[in-house]
Amino acid sequence: MSSVTSTLFLSLSAPLLALYVAFMVYSQYRFNPRWQALEKRLAPLLSLPHLAVALGLVYLFSPGGMVYSAFAGIIGHAAPDWLGLPRKSLLTMILAISIKEVPFFLLIFSALGRQLAIKDWLLQGRALGYSESASWWLLVFPIMLKQSRLALLAAMAYTLSVLDISLLIGPNIPELYAVALYNWQTGFTSADQANAFLGNLLLLIMLATLITGIYLHEWLVVMRLRTNAVMAKPLNIARLSRVFTAWLGFFSLLTVAILVTFLLWSLGWNSQSTLSSINWSPALWQDEWFFMQGPLLNSLHIAFFSSILGVAITLLALELQQQSQRYLPDYIWLLAILLPQLSMVHGWRIAHSDLSASYTTSWIILTHIPFTFAYSYLVLRGPFQSLNRHYELVAASFGYTYWQRWWQIRFMLLRPALLSALAIAFSVSIAQYIPTLIIGAGRITTITTEAVAIASGNEQSITAVYMLVQAILPFIAFLIASVLAQRIRGSFDATHH
Amino acid sequence: MMWLTSKSAKALGAVKRPTNASGLLTLCFLSLLVLLPFAEVNAQDNPSSEASKRANSQQWQQTLASAQGETVYFYAWGGSKPVNDYLRWAAKEVARRYKIRLRHVKVADISEAVSRLKVENGRNSAIDLLWINGENFNFLKSQHLLLGDLWQQIPNSALLATKKLSLHSDFGVPMDGFEVPWGVGQFNVMANKGLFDHETLTPETLLNAAKQNPGRISYPRPPEFHGTTFLKQLLVALSHDDKRLYESATPTAQNELLPLLWNYLDRLHPLTWQQGKAFPSSNTEQLSLLQQHQLALAVSFNPNQLAKEQSEKRIPDSVERVYFAQGAITNSHNLAVPKGAQNPNGAKVVINFLLSEQAQRQKLKGNWGDPSVITPVLDNASTLPAQQELHSSWQQIIEDSWQQKYGA
Repeated sequence: MSSVTSTLFLSLSAPLLALYVAFMVYSQYRFNPRWQALEKRLAPLLSLPHLAVALGLVYLFSPGGMVYSAFAGIIGHAAPDWLGLPRKSLLTMILAISIKEVPFFLLIFSALGRQLAIKDWLLQGRALGYSESASWWLLVFPIMLKQSRLALLAAMAYTLSVLDISLLIGPNIPELYAVALYNWQTGFTSADQANAFLGNLLLLIMLATLITGIYLHEWLVVMRLRTNAVMAKPLNIARLSRVFTAWLGFFSLLTVAILVTFLLWSLGWNSQSTLSSINWSPALWQDEWFFMQGPLLNSLHIAFFSSILGVAITLLALELQQQSQRYLPDYIWLLAILLPQLSMVHGWRIAHSDLSASYTTSWIILTHIPFTFAYSYLVLRGPFQSLNRHYELVAASFGYTYWQRWWQIRFMLLRPALLSALAIAFSVSIAQYIPTLIIGAGRITTITTEAVAIASGNEQSITAVYMLVQAILPFIAFLIASVLAQRIRGSFDATHH
Repeated sequence: MMWLTSKSAKALGAVKRPTNASGLLTLCFLSLLVLLPFAEVNAQDNPSSEASKRANSQQWQQTLASAQGETVYFYAWGGSKPVNDYLRWAAKEVARRYKIRLRHVKVADISEAVSRLKVENGRNSAIDLLWINGENFNFLKSQHLLLGDLWQQIPNSALLATKKLSLHSDFGVPMDGFEVPWGVGQFNVMANKGLFDHETLTPETLLNAAKQNPGRISYPRPPEFHGTTFLKQLLVALSHDDKRLYESATPTAQNELLPLLWNYLDRLHPLTWQQGKAFPSSNTEQLSLLQQHQLALAVSFNPNQLAKEQSEKRIPDSVERVYFAQGAITNSHNLAVPKGAQNPNGAKVVINFLLSEQAQRQKLKGNWGDPSVITPVLDNASTLPAQQELHSSWQQIIEDSWQQKYGA
């Protein structure tokens, strides 16, 4: 397969796979007491960065990885290589991205679910004689699929141009397209420069192909479900759904396993170790801590401001649309995450350099805002628009002015949603690699840029230190958000039923 | 003599500080007058005195003075812990001695810095100092993006072991003072003991090793430069050291020599890691595969790497160092200052420090183990027989044809 076709295959299959898994999980959990647990754990699970998932899978399951070695230890001799996950392959890449995107789609579905009358549809389905699982697929899935087009496109655009993961675990014969394009963009021969220009165009064509793919897939699915419904054929996929009742447990276990792997590596485990010979020591942490403070402060500083500004601009955009009653289509607002990041940032960089602009955190905050904005828009739009108007009407009848009502009622009602939007925007900013690297010229180092530069050397122990810190930052943000949200929920909560 | 000059320089330095600018100049001048006769006589055989003579020059003292308080952004590959640790040590020393802040900007690939310089096109640069060699240097030099005259201006370049090592050109391109050697690379292979019978390897013994250990042999994917060098070593051996490899690659020479390499690789690749459907992205990735016993060998440009990794218990003692029978391809890795650098004086002071005896010794003896380039610290014990670099025109041709044949 050529670089372009394998990249298209990856960008199409991994997000779709994630969407199907997420839907099956959703259908198993939604009207079940476990839903509460899932909703509570969703955000922290979502916060594990892509890079950590990708490297974690390789550290655990590749030949020579921890699970693989443990297995070899149990059976007494080295297990065959095909049992392990290949270190660099399309398969590894598809697995990493699809596993990582499931919580993202669950988040989208959970937001959609609040607006759709799923319970009624399932009742109607039962009245028509369909089993519950068949009703999920026949009645709920087509609508959910349509409603999550943009989320699907965002995941696909991300996969299409993701660089750090492609470099580390993607196949390199041929290279994934993002890697080839990045090499052209950073290349310096005139052929490279011409290729970079054409390559950006090709990337847009690939994006258009993916959009076509989304519509085509939707059409095929609806056709297929319709025939199944008419012919009363059993749905094989409905049976598969039951497997995913265990998803929450499985995913939590995987997350913990990944974090523990990083922790063990950072404390002195290495591939030469046997359990008895490991020399556990926090030396690496002590060494690195001093040098990590600068990048850590930069990360926090940038993420703090870009998430607050991103959420504030989202509120402004939603408010202005509501006041004027003119709504721009969502894809305009989400442009930053629907366009391939590589091409967009390449353009910014040229502009930034032409302006002879400085390499300061303010510029980086500016370049993070489109992304923090887009994700918080994705999260806040639903709660904002489905806000119960009743309270505001009552307040108006008591003579509250518009701004008093906005601040004391709407804002207060939105607080839980705002908190999770802030946490998501924060973790989006923490994970940004390309804009930080390119606009900051590498002078402004963050935990993520350090992590990628260090991971390029494949020294697992020190990479593990940075991976852990990178994973912990968003986790802390979500933790704070959920603690605050719980305190708010104590008084009242209108957005969550 | 050496003792005397450095001692007197120190003494003068101590006197200088409290006096005013004109006094300082006079003292400098006087010290030069005192030192000049000795230095001139001994310059040829005693590089140290030449270096300290230059260090006491008025020009250098001005450079030192104006470098104080500067922040030097040093763009260098950030994937190696020993290198990063070494630069942290250097940063501490430079701060203490010269009041310069040295910031290591870790890049995943130095070509990022090169393309940045191209975009900046000589305007004020984000980069003050960079670690390069080969085609990156060739490009920057040809685009006039580098500061010249470094050898003249930096005192410790007098210490460079130009007689013992070939340090005047970089992949066949004359340095002409646009970069200063920092360390030496010698291409070698770290292999499990018993994989090869001798201390040296040939294409034949490599193929045999691959037959006996299918899936355990690989090399970094070209155009990663370790991978390209691996191919060059094979080509030298397969063509029995054809002289045309050291000249510009003519179409006839390409047609006659390159098929030797491709025929060989056609036989080797089915026996390699993942059947040649994937290659390690870099030498470091290959090393981590060796550590995990997935590969039986890994390549390196540092002749001391194996010993260092073994002393850190990161590679088992059952691994040995071998090299290609024709000799190890040897080149230098270098330091350069962009023309648009904001703190060129600071950058020069840093280079001067990195070429000092103390810094070069620390580089060799510390965890990094990178061979020194200066006469006082030369390390003959670990030096391998050298093989000349190929003419630079072969590089692109080998990389491009490899990409067409195996990379897509």
